[in-house]
Amino acid sequence: MNRNLIHGLMVTLLLISSAYAVKVGEPAPDFQATDSNGQMHKLSSEHGKFVVLEWHNNGCPYTRKHYESGNMQRLQKDWTSKGVVWFTVISSAPGQQGYVTGQQENEYLKQMNASPTAAVLDPQGEVGRLYSAKTTPHMFIINPAGVLIYDGAIDDKATTEQADIAGAKNYVSQALEEAAAGKPVGMPTSRPYGCSVKYAH
Amino acid sequence: MLNRSCIRWPGVFFACAVWLVIPVFGFPKNPADEHVQLELISEQNAVVPGKELWFGIRIDLQDGWHTYWTNPGDSGEAARIDWHLPAGYEAGAIQWPYPERLSTPPFADYGYQHQVLLMVPVRPPAGLKEGQTQKIGALVRYLVCREVCIPGRKELELSLPVQTHAASESRELFEATRSRLPRPVPPSWRISATSRGDEFLLNLRIGKLDKEPEFFPLEAEQIENAAPQEATAIPGGIRLHLKKSKYLLKPASRLKGVIVISPGGGYLLDVPVLQSGRDYTQTRH
Repeated sequence: MNRNLIHGLMVTLLLISSAYAVKVGEPAPDFQATDSNGQMHKLSSEHGKFVVLEWHNNGCPYTRKHYESGNMQRLQKDWTSKGVVWFTVISSAPGQQGYVTGQQENEYLKQMNASPTAAVLDPQGEVGRLYSAKTTPHMFIINPAGVLIYDGAIDDKATTEQADIAGAKNYVSQALEEAAAGKPVGMPTSRPYGCSVKYAH
Repeated sequence: MLNRSCIRWPGVFFACAVWLVIPVFGFPKNPADEHVQLELISEQNAVVPGKELWFGIRIDLQDGWHTYWTNPGDSGEAARIDWHLPAGYEAGAIQWPYPERLSTPPFADYGYQHQVLLMVPVRPPAGLKEGQTQKIGALVRYLVCREVCIPGRKELELSLPVQTHAASESRELFEATRSRLPRPVPPSWRISATSRGDEFLLNLRIGKLDKEPEFFPLEAEQIENAAPQEATAIPGGIRLHLKKSKYLLKPASRLKGVIVISPGGGYLLDVPVLQSGRDYTQTRH
């Protein structure tokens, strides 16, 4: 049977089941995807660790705000050094802004001095749609038990200006600090801000 | 910091190179300028001491491009204005015309295409002298998007004389925009909202309507922006079914937004949400 057809059916099923599939306080849906080095990653294999998902588009001015300032790289470094798994997820479709091949992404990571655990390539938008990722950036945190504990913005300053980062409250760090200390996350959701994710039409 | 990032990344390097040539060639055009034009305009041709007048930022967008409402919806950002006014002036808030829903399933934004006027009321001080010239400045920060988004920043300026009487200049555009500003609801309308399961039921007892109304939430994280707003008939009006946002973790106590009916225009709603107990417990699992 036609592989594309099967693939299309699977995506459709995923889409149907994904309405409200992601909710803070509930198990984060599992996914499997390939990174920029061709390595396969499965969310459920990271059981026992905190996992951060960062939706990314290197051409989006909101993403650029956090990379050209070094803010995202700092977060990646700080949290991965503490054992957190950080997946940068790229759901831009081929031909759309932010779409990259594995090699292009590796060059970008090197140039930007970025160090996520892996940059996951999701050109079909399956992982993005599974999580209803709306914007770049859009951040999710999954706790060691596999439960989603944060879904929202990177911080409380919804602008493209780097100058706003210094005075911003970083929701991701705040949630990770609270959760790591065994406390409930005070701000479990916020409105994600940024460019729309450039999904395949 | 600047130097290091200049070396590290070609895009930044290019930006730095541009920055270096500014003194020679003048300021480069903002990339957004290709797709949008902004102008600061005044409704009156003069400032009358102590008398409120209206300024507006007119935004003209290239076909296919849009900019955002005060609640941008699932992505984007509303424009911001920093006024540079002579001493004693007071500027009010932007009066946002009701937007249109810009749908890119599974998401939706709220914004404007083609042209929008962001009107702001300004009160000059009473002690101005006739014949003085008043320099009005505005720094506008905005975002325009098509498939891609470009942030823009524009310094705008306008000079007006002080006179005892003023005539209207751009009256048509200001009047057309006024007709799109949300108004208070007429006293005869009966409006209520109930929380039921994963929906808000907005009951609009406002008489017969030719077309189904549309609700635009003023606050983010209230409803699913892209969900269809199903309308059903109720005695004396219509009920809109609004799907709750998944970001709404706590029950909403009020529903704030603009209801747009045709013909008629936009009306400002701010109604308490009645919790339907039985159904509410259902949503808590």
